[in-house]
Amino acid sequence: MEVLATFFNVGLFVATIRTTTPILLVALGGSFTTKAGIFNIGLEGQMLIAAFFAVIGSIWTGSSLGGLLIGVAAALAFALVYAVLVVSFRANEVVVGLALNILAGGMTISLMKAIFGTRGSVVGRGIVGLPKVQLPGARDILGPSYAQLVSGYTPLVYVAFFSVPLLILFYARTRLGLYLRVVGEKPEAAETLGISIAKVRYVASLLCGLFAGLAGAHMSLGYITMFTENMSSGRGFMAVAILIFSAGDPLKVLAGCLLFGFADAFSLRLQILNFPSYLILAVPYAVALLALFALSWRTRPKLIRETLETMRNALAVSPQDRDDRRPADNRS
Amino acid sequence: MIASLLPRNLRRTLAGQLLALAIALALGSIVILMIDENPLRVFATLLRGAFGDSEKIAGTLLQTTPIMICGVAACIGLRGGMFNVGIEGQLFLGGFAAAWVGFSFALPPVLHVLVAMAAAIAAGAAWVSVPAYFRVRFGANEVVSTILANYVAVLLTSYFTIFLFKRPGGWSETPPILPSAYLPELFSFSRLNIGLLVGLALAVATALFFRFTATGYAVTMTGSAPKFAEYGGINVRRAGFGVLVASGAVGGLAGGVETLGVHHRFMEGFAPGFGFDGLIAALLANGSPIGTIFTALFFGALRAGSLLLEVDTTASREIITVIQALIILAVSADLLLRRGGDRTGGRRWKF
Repeated sequence: MEVLATFFNVGLFVATIRTTTPILLVALGGSFTTKAGIFNIGLEGQMLIAAFFAVIGSIWTGSSLGGLLIGVAAALAFALVYAVLVVSFRANEVVVGLALNILAGGMTISLMKAIFGTRGSVVGRGIVGLPKVQLPGARDILGPSYAQLVSGYTPLVYVAFFSVPLLILFYARTRLGLYLRVVGEKPEAAETLGISIAKVRYVASLLCGLFAGLAGAHMSLGYITMFTENMSSGRGFMAVAILIFSAGDPLKVLAGCLLFGFADAFSLRLQILNFPSYLILAVPYAVALLALFALSWRTRPKLIRETLETMRNALAVSPQDRDDRRPADNRS
Repeated sequence: MIASLLPRNLRRTLAGQLLALAIALALGSIVILMIDENPLRVFATLLRGAFGDSEKIAGTLLQTTPIMICGVAACIGLRGGMFNVGIEGQLFLGGFAAAWVGFSFALPPVLHVLVAMAAAIAAGAAWVSVPAYFRVRFGANEVVSTILANYVAVLLTSYFTIFLFKRPGGWSETPPILPSAYLPELFSFSRLNIGLLVGLALAVATALFFRFTATGYAVTMTGSAPKFAEYGGINVRRAGFGVLVASGAVGGLAGGVETLGVHHRFMEGFAPGFGFDGLIAALLANGSPIGTIFTALFFGALRAGSLLLEVDTTASREIITVIQALIILAVSADLLLRRGGDRTGGRRWKF
């Protein structure tokens, strides 16, 4: 019991929220491109380049906001290159995405050596981290131990979680959201309606860059203020895995991200128990793989899906309905 | 016969790739200027580091070998319409498997090499078979699953190396393999070994397979026109699975060659990035195994040259990954292709 208590406490949930944030931000960004029908594997690179330039920016401007803006600008530049190649030049999106990821990795290391003269990581040197937001009154209402569940995070944590309902509204209630979905689901229909597919995809790609930039800035200016080689360490790819099985729906994205955030936070806790660290580090990737495989069954075997659907229909109708159902009024 | 192995519109392809190369080098020069270096000096140092004397040339070929084998692995996948981005992971597992056979069993000389290679091939094929199964059976995206599998593979081999098979008192590396499992070296002054010849033979054999066999044609059609292939009576799923497993097997072989020929042990951070370089080389060669020989040589030269770059200039050796990525971006734009009127987002899948 004591072991369980050290594992499952408020701290674990706080840690989950923290680890969920960057992956949620980048996955929400990817939801724009997914909805617009672009398979964006370049999220990883956009996040990495943003993390690096956020550090540079915060040193140059001496403020975390400056760092944030410059980091986002770098991610937007990558997103623009991605959009130009994929939308205008119709290049293969996987090739372009992978190349941009490699470019981000090489560029950050080269620039780090040129600017700071070091390899590995940049720590200190006047990097300004994002401030922590203390919600007024949270301590009085919830008490000191539960207050940390809602208060004391960096602003981007709130941005990430409040973006989920905003994105739901965006897709359901705004013209641009509708255009995005049409372009993704039925480009022919969009073309007939006179929607410029290229323009919508550019917008989606840039919105994606914006969110990936925020995610990157949160990585290097959030809870740790440093930049390390390849510090995004596959989070962009996990986000892509989430996007594949969520189809870009904000709520499902949130659920998937919470799963990974929890796996991340939980695996950090496992280190207390002296598990080999290499295996623990592999846990989030393994969870992502398992989720990708486990949820892919939905897409393929029609037989299972149809059987389940018929069973649900059979259970949903009331007995007398079933009695007088004739082949003629087979409406469903 | 050699001419028939080359792509039909070779001239246009070559012109396009050369234009892309020029653009990429121009952009690369801008990046080099950004890090306060002279582009000409960087390129000259790269050339000198790659081809300066016979030892340097052997070093280039040594770097070329794994890139070429990984490139052939990627070509096999691309021909069958599968993006095997997990070659890196297959390489690591293959390398570890070969090392394990190399240090734990005592076998007669030639047999030992063959068994170790077989273990490497089996490890690579086994590692890719899970993503491959879910890809063909349930449509789970192979790009993402193989990328994620890379991270697991690298961490898993590190775990094996450090927690299970660590050489006592050494760095994070396994015990050395027995000399009976060494691949024969080609020259006295370099670690260059017959792995290079294995890679060349493999590339030519793969090209012949795709050009002259019915199965090769079936695989190519599965990749470029799956509906047509299915209509023609090909089991598309089985072909896709076979393509990924073959690709993974070759990726594992690359790891085995690297272990038995170069390092003679498995260590953490073994052969970093060769899998990705191989994929890029295959993309640059447009999925042609013969073309991959040359693109792999180019990337091998870049890698070998980058070692001198780090010594002679202030630039970091990762500048070559920047140049590689820029080349791929420029190639992917395919500037010489006239774009048609299809604006509904149908994208070109080159292979």
